[in-house]
Amino acid sequence: MSGYAIVLASGELERIQAVSMIGSIAASSDTPVEVFVTMNGLPAFEKDRVESGDFNVAGPAGEAMLRDEGDDVPLFTEQLSRAKQIGPMSVYACEMVMDIMDNEIDDYVDVFDDVLGVAGFLSHASDKQIIFV
Amino acid sequence: MSESINPDTTIDSRGAACPGPLMDLIGKVKEVDTGTVIELQTSDSGSKDDVPEWLEESGHELLDIVDHGDYWSVYVEKT
Repeated sequence: MSGYAIVLASGELERIQAVSMIGSIAASSDTPVEVFVTMNGLPAFEKDRVESGDFNVAGPAGEAMLRDEGDDVPLFTEQLSRAKQIGPMSVYACEMVMDIMDNEIDDYVDVFDDVLGVAGFLSHASDKQIIFV
Repeated sequence: MSESINPDTTIDSRGAACPGPLMDLIGKVKEVDTGTVIELQTSDSGSKDDVPEWLEESGHELLDIVDHGDYWSVYVEKT
């Protein structure tokens, strides 16, 4: 196994936070991680939404994280940016969702390495364990 | 024994929740030379338990964990 390819298809804050934390520690420990952000996951990375903190939460853990306002638990954007400086982590935005929502890559926070389609992601993921979130 | 450890460098991660302290430690471990003794200060009980797990996996040495009441000092030597 030469790392993890994580498909982040959920816009729920809890799931996004979990992906950013687990992926960050893996990458920091020199395990390659590729994150493909697609479906409702992608809108959570829009600059306006990140700025306003207007995230979907599924339950009490997410509500607690929103109340925390980054005092203790860093937001996924910060966590991912940091992990990318320490270890082998790449984050990709799904081209289809970006197009369908009429967005450009600049509409999202600056954590993305590239914009990819499904074939592109599968090629990056071919030697990795795929985790679907 | 714990009194005798003199760290070469100290990371103050008090106030940060999991996985912040571990990330701080990993970042530091990567930049220092082999043999460097690092003190990681954390007030997060989960990190106090999670850091030794990472050390076991990564092969660096856990020298000691000292309980200061409102935070812990985890002493690590880079191998």
